[in-house]
Amino acid sequence: MSTTILQRPPGLAAAPLGKFVAWLTAKNTLAAGTILGLLILFVGFAAPYLYPVDPYAINPTHALEAPSAAFPLGTDELGRDELALLLSGGLATLIVSLPAAILAFFVGVAYGLASGLGPAWLDKILMRLLDAILALPSLIILIFFASLVTLNNTSLILLLGFISWPSLARLVRNETLAQKNRDFVLATEQLGAGKFYIARVHLLRVMAPILVVNGTFMVGDAIFALSALSFLGLGVQPPQVSWGSLLESGLDIIALNPWWLILPPGLLVFGSLLAASLTGQGLLAKFGGTR
Amino acid sequence: MTPVLKLENLSVALPRGGAMVSILDNLNLTVNAGEMLGLVGESGSGKTIAALSVMRLLPPRARITGHAWLDGQDLTALDERAMRKVRGRGVGMVFQNPLSALNPSKTVAAQIAESYRVHNNVSGTAARTRAKELLGEVGIVNPGGKMDDYPHQFSGGMRQRVMIAMALSCAPKLLIADEPTTGLDPLIARQIMALITRLRAEHDMGVLFVTHDLSVVEEHADSIHVLYAGKSVEWGTSKAFFEHPRHPYSEALLGSVARVGQARLQNIFGNLPEPESRPPGCRFAPRCRYRQPDCDLAYPPPDSSAGTTAACLYPLAATARATYAEPDHRRAYTPGPAQLEIQNLEVRYTSTATFLRPASTLPPALADVALTLGRGECLGIVGESGSGKSTLGRAVLQMISYSGDIILDGQSFATLRGAEKRNLRKKIQVVFQDPRESLNPRIKIGDIIAEPLRLAGKTSNLRDQVATLLNRVGLNPEMAEKLPGGVSGGQAQRIAIARALAAEPELIVLDEPTSSLDVSTQAMLLNLLKDLAVDTGLSYILISHDFAVVSYMADRIAVLNAGRIVEMNDTAALISAPQHDYTRALLGAAPQLRDLAKMSASATII
Repeated sequence: MSTTILQRPPGLAAAPLGKFVAWLTAKNTLAAGTILGLLILFVGFAAPYLYPVDPYAINPTHALEAPSAAFPLGTDELGRDELALLLSGGLATLIVSLPAAILAFFVGVAYGLASGLGPAWLDKILMRLLDAILALPSLIILIFFASLVTLNNTSLILLLGFISWPSLARLVRNETLAQKNRDFVLATEQLGAGKFYIARVHLLRVMAPILVVNGTFMVGDAIFALSALSFLGLGVQPPQVSWGSLLESGLDIIALNPWWLILPPGLLVFGSLLAASLTGQGLLAKFGGTR
Repeated sequence: MTPVLKLENLSVALPRGGAMVSILDNLNLTVNAGEMLGLVGESGSGKTIAALSVMRLLPPRARITGHAWLDGQDLTALDERAMRKVRGRGVGMVFQNPLSALNPSKTVAAQIAESYRVHNNVSGTAARTRAKELLGEVGIVNPGGKMDDYPHQFSGGMRQRVMIAMALSCAPKLLIADEPTTGLDPLIARQIMALITRLRAEHDMGVLFVTHDLSVVEEHADSIHVLYAGKSVEWGTSKAFFEHPRHPYSEALLGSVARVGQARLQNIFGNLPEPESRPPGCRFAPRCRYRQPDCDLAYPPPDSSAGTTAACLYPLAATARATYAEPDHRRAYTPGPAQLEIQNLEVRYTSTATFLRPASTLPPALADVALTLGRGECLGIVGESGSGKSTLGRAVLQMISYSGDIILDGQSFATLRGAEKRNLRKKIQVVFQDPRESLNPRIKIGDIIAEPLRLAGKTSNLRDQVATLLNRVGLNPEMAEKLPGGVSGGQAQRIAIARALAAEPELIVLDEPTSSLDVSTQAMLLNLLKDLAVDTGLSYILISHDFAVVSYMADRIAVLNAGRIVEMNDTAALISAPQHDYTRALLGAAPQLRDLAKMSASATII
């Protein structure tokens, strides 16, 4: 992990877009990402109170209406209120992707530490296994397993959690290898400390910036993966909607040009990814210098 | 004597925390053709800034005032275009770390030819021929065969020769060498110095030699210029300076260079002032043992009433040096009962097998090592890099696997497992070379020192225990709340020592504990280690490439070469009557020891 990727190339600053990028990549990245992220979280979880409209109330007389005062974001082909659907879909998306990201985070850290600190043979086995998993595109694995199991929140959390940990595990393993022979770790070993102590007190603390940054990115990845699965019909199952499935149903009738059914879910997925990415990059810029 | 470089009131200010801070103040010096001037100072003295400002290689926001005359041309008045011509053609430069100064993806011939072609309009073939000539001139054997090698194929000393060849490619009038031998083994450093000395005579080239190492200056430089906190404190001919240093700082600096037979190194108490808070009067006054009230009023004018010129109101008389002596803490070491025994120690590193190459066995890093360490003894291990001295330390610490036997307090590590082994291992602690690496940057100093106590379950009155430990190593207990990032190298080493002491060890392996520190910091640290040994009966294994440091500290010295002990004897005997050629060569490369060999011999008779 290096911070150099965040430095803007010289000359960019002169252009208006460059100025915007410079503004974003300066200290404001973190603020912008955090605010956007918190906003999405707040709206997702407070939805039933903010906009108490039943998302599943079918109303054929108002099918496919464009946004109006009665329906702020219009209705779908069944006459359901699109805003209510989006809010409900957001909650469904978040309650699966956040636990999935957390699960993946802990699995990745534990796997990486075990591989980096364990004996050489264990490292070899764990890393070859990781290579095997990484060799297959994660979406293919997802689709394969999603077609095998009954899809509910628990199985989705496990599925999504399972596919996004390998890259973090590899990162943690490499970082562990780089850190474990530093003098301060050797000095602690000399004091009689065990591997768990070294991992907990020294390695995790030194790696904290990397972990925080990548943890943030993983939330974005999980949201994206879930939306992709739902889009393919393998994610959150009907009648419950999610951003991915809403986008898919809008695209089904794209011939009728229902832009209010396509743009909002797409923008929300994009917004969550942006929030996670900005927060991550902001944290990286903040901690990057103090390794 | 024609002056090549003349600095007139050269001052440099750098932006720091929003304000311009003066780093270097009114430096005046002259380097004549064919002459070497040693610009001496500790870190923070401004010596490197001075060298870089001549070449105008400072950050763009730096403010340089005054004049730097190179051969009658004022470099401070040149624009960047003209300056580029001067770099390389007028002035050659050699840096401390040749590996980072060479491009790893180009052959050395290409790099030398490049710097030659930039300044001379010649063909590629001509430049290559010149590169070959230059490599021969700097002492690369078989230059034709080696010229198409890449920098990583050269050893440290050879890379420094390549750097010198590059610096010489356009026959500059002035060579600026910034710590060119720091980080090289003593024997190699000596060859590089001999090379620079030969080349300056052959080319009638002036050399501005920036260093912290007084012994190198004493041996090679014609004149010396000592900087302290950005100001010149003393300058003159090298001969006059070393016969009779007149500034108290010079005296203190010379007193802190480890020499054999010396009762005690001089402590320069206090710290170098930060550039923002330099005292208005003499900058050394707050740390000076001869300080008078009027020293603090204004910066003292230069006084050249004797051999050298010293910026001091009360320059030292020729006899002053002898009158001051630190209390003698030397202990008469009588070999106690054996504490540590090493028998038939052998360490082999094997290269791991890869797909195309089976595992091969390299020559042993250590072979047939046998020694005994008495209780309370300090054993010095001397050798060049690659001699296996650090490997020996790591084997004693049980950090690597070995064959043979290491026995502490009658218990062999080979027979122990698990908790028993860990408990025995804990009795041997370590202090590493790099102060930055040995402390976790994210853990507070107090917690670092408390770590051994926590691991041992001694958590009652933790704060008081930590404060006591900090006091013992001469640090303020308030430091416990800081992170390691904010402390100096010397302080960091003290913290590492406090952590080692907290484990209540019987033996501490000191792996080059002072080699990255300034001379005065080194002196204080070595004195601290000596005092701790006297107070606690600790034993040390001191590993160093610096013969002088080892001879100051050790009761006995083992000389290691290519993984074997070639000679081991009491310190005084080893230095006055070295038996092995390799020992003699190492001693020869430690200039400050050469004249003192006799002295130490007489000291032992008493």
